[in-house]
Amino acid sequence: MNNPILQRELVGILRTRRAFALQVSIAVLFALLVLLRWPTDALVDLSGTQSRQVFRLFGYGLLATLILLVPVFPATSIVRERISGTLALLINSLMSPWKIYIGKLAGVLVFALMMLVMSLPAAVACYAMGGVDLVTGVLALYGILMLVAIQYATLGLFVSSRAASSDSALRITYGLVLFTTVVVLGPHLFLQGQPGWLSDFAFWLQCISPVPAVMELLGQGDVGSQGVISRATTSWGYVVSSAVITAAYVWATVTRLNSSMLDRARSSGAITDDQSHSTQLMRRLMFLVDPQRRKSSIGKWTNPVMVKEFRCRRFGRSHWMIRMVSGCTILSLALSILTTTGTMDWSVETIGGILVVMQVAIIVLVTPSLSVGVISAERESGGWRMLMVTPLSAGTILRGKLLSVIWPVLLLLLATLPGYAVMMYIDPGLRLQIQQVIICLLVTAGFVLVLSATISSLFDRTASATTTAYVVLFSLFAGTMLIWLGEDAPFGRLTVETALALNPMAAALSAIKAPGFTQYDLVTTNWWMMGTLTAIMLTVLLTQTWRLTRPQ
Amino acid sequence: MQQSSPVVVTENLTKRFGEFTALDSFSLQLDRGRILGLIGPNGAGKTTAISILVGLSQPTSGSAQIAGVDCVRDARKIRQLVGYMPDTFGSYDNMRVHEYLDFFGAAFCIERGERKKRIEAVMETTQSTYMKDRYVEALSHGMKQKVAIARTLLHDPQVLIFDEPANGLDPQARIEMRELLLRLAEMGKTLIVTSHILPELARICDQVAMITHGRLRAFGTLEEIMRDISQERTIEVQLLSADQLDEATRVVREFIGPEKTSQITASAAEATVRFRTVKSETDITKLLALLVTADVAISRFGEVQSNLEDVFLSVAKETDERDKQSQSTLAAATAGRSDESGGTE
Repeated sequence: MNNPILQRELVGILRTRRAFALQVSIAVLFALLVLLRWPTDALVDLSGTQSRQVFRLFGYGLLATLILLVPVFPATSIVRERISGTLALLINSLMSPWKIYIGKLAGVLVFALMMLVMSLPAAVACYAMGGVDLVTGVLALYGILMLVAIQYATLGLFVSSRAASSDSALRITYGLVLFTTVVVLGPHLFLQGQPGWLSDFAFWLQCISPVPAVMELLGQGDVGSQGVISRATTSWGYVVSSAVITAAYVWATVTRLNSSMLDRARSSGAITDDQSHSTQLMRRLMFLVDPQRRKSSIGKWTNPVMVKEFRCRRFGRSHWMIRMVSGCTILSLALSILTTTGTMDWSVETIGGILVVMQVAIIVLVTPSLSVGVISAERESGGWRMLMVTPLSAGTILRGKLLSVIWPVLLLLLATLPGYAVMMYIDPGLRLQIQQVIICLLVTAGFVLVLSATISSLFDRTASATTTAYVVLFSLFAGTMLIWLGEDAPFGRLTVETALALNPMAAALSAIKAPGFTQYDLVTTNWWMMGTLTAIMLTVLLTQTWRLTRPQ
Repeated sequence: MQQSSPVVVTENLTKRFGEFTALDSFSLQLDRGRILGLIGPNGAGKTTAISILVGLSQPTSGSAQIAGVDCVRDARKIRQLVGYMPDTFGSYDNMRVHEYLDFFGAAFCIERGERKKRIEAVMETTQSTYMKDRYVEALSHGMKQKVAIARTLLHDPQVLIFDEPANGLDPQARIEMRELLLRLAEMGKTLIVTSHILPELARICDQVAMITHGRLRAFGTLEEIMRDISQERTIEVQLLSADQLDEATRVVREFIGPEKTSQITASAAEATVRFRTVKSETDITKLLALLVTADVAISRFGEVQSNLEDVFLSVAKETDERDKQSQSTLAAATAGRSDESGGTE
């Protein structure tokens, strides 16, 4: 503990009420989980099935907790210091970049270790119930989870050393977490069992994600193996890839921790209108909508707040919108074409399921990144005070802000729809199901948008609002899927169906009759639930915005 | 509206946050085209007063009017009448200066064609035309201040309220800021300016309002305030060597009386003794004789010309002492009452 940064970081984290609540929640949740399946009758389950089922749920729960919470603290750690000016003081001190880095990393890891320790009593209880091996079960799981903590903590610090603001660091980190956890599994899903180097590459790519390794340890084989016998080396594959990736993150961050990090050139404000005609033409061809063109004045009937939001957003300018929409269209079509031409045994429903998961992932990742700062970022930068001295009403401000999120989300959603056209071409009888899925996606987008904006109105710091929004959304979208995984052990059918009814992704999957969701009828209940929740949150958002625009 | 009619009027403006009184019976009147310097230490209540005037805060009691419009009841009208520049810039990332001004122009419902002209005009007034294509977040502090002033001028308000406009500016930028504020006053705008840099304010303000602990302690032109407190003069004794500082302080203390000891400031670094006194010139000459008799080697002895800083410090010190006295009197009275009640039990 001879590192002052480690002491400060750790004490800083532990002092927060959030950290305290987190640790208590983990202990209580996992204890409840074990309690649910603790044998109460005189019969002994010699096969250990119950224990393994609880242990499985316990393992996934811990993995989800670590993936969601570990990156939060390191992602804001360096960028916050850079903005407040204390990083310059640290770099100018006698501490080496390594010492600064180790202090920051160790602070987060000790906290992660404490979270794991809080779950130990539940793990011991699983072991005591029998059926779970100490070395290949409990210890191996904790070993992998510790690697997960290290990998995502170093990822957070890496992003933090390059981000421009705390909230953008959080957004990028969560995006990369989603990519390295879920998206990398995709190619293996399609290519497994095929000969050639592409299949090997896909296997190693999936090893970046801790999910297959944890699944293997918990005795569930491989992700979407569909009966294909996979190589039983996923855990070791993860250990190797995690070590390599972590080393790369560490190297990239430590080499950045010097005075050059503080040297940021100011933009000279070059404008295309002042350049030659040929340059203007070239830029027009390159960008279609040139970001450096002098913009015209805001129109009479346009909401000025909406225009302001688009203009001050890094990826809000038209050329970025065009790029994102094109990317999504290509991805959607490629997925459909790949799945229909590349595999023989996949049904249209499975392809639909993959499309739904991809679309929901885009909505859950992109929508909060646009809407979670709509009010909190203004309050944080002092812009809200400026808006309040203009004649703009609370309604105009809120409408402009929400519209600035609705348009890009709607465009992205539309861009991902061509995949369904391919599906309808294959099986025209899917029309009604696809209609239901599209409604589910719209409901999801609306819910995520209003939830993030409401959270934004309740916080005066965007980093806190971003973390809260992502934790709530991931808990809702991924947490309820954990309950689905635990059907029959420890959760009953009714509990699972009720939990899934809260998840719009599950509703969309049940609408498309994706494998594993055929037995549920979630659509109508989910629409009612989402509608009610969205209406409640919209009321809170309106009230809070009105309150914030009133004189204090 | 006539040149002399008051544009800003506050009457017994009071703002309480629970037990804490941020602003206490704040009353003043400001005529059109005048520049008012609002000064006070940190936490004195300056920003609270300004927040009420621009409709960002509601007073607990009292009233405030700008050009006859009530600041509390008609906040929307007030926004058209007032241009407010807070101490924070409130910038937006990835926005160029002309886009930034265009947004605020649109927010004030200025027609598109008119808005273009207004943006050009205010940028010319604030001499910031050359930065119209620059990104707002890439501007220096001085440039941002100019853009912020341009923003307040967009809707052509009658009253301009600037919170710490010279804060963090280099000497050149301060001079430019001073000239800009004077130019705005010449244009017929009424200005309320807060600043910690008192010499800057003294050069431009027609009137000064001093606030400490939420109360208006002095209000008027600088000359009026100085006249009020000039019964007390500041005398400075410059010694040849700091070795005799204690001896000189002792003589001064004996001369002005032990009850006025708090008004003496001795500086070993500058080898000076400063004190405030109401004694006449003849009496002060006697002090010089006393110092000479005590073998104190003096290089200079004389009155120090008061400036806004001295006036402010004097007012602040006096009111602090008065507050302390009233608090101790109150405490003594409370103690006395509790003794009495204890005796009756």
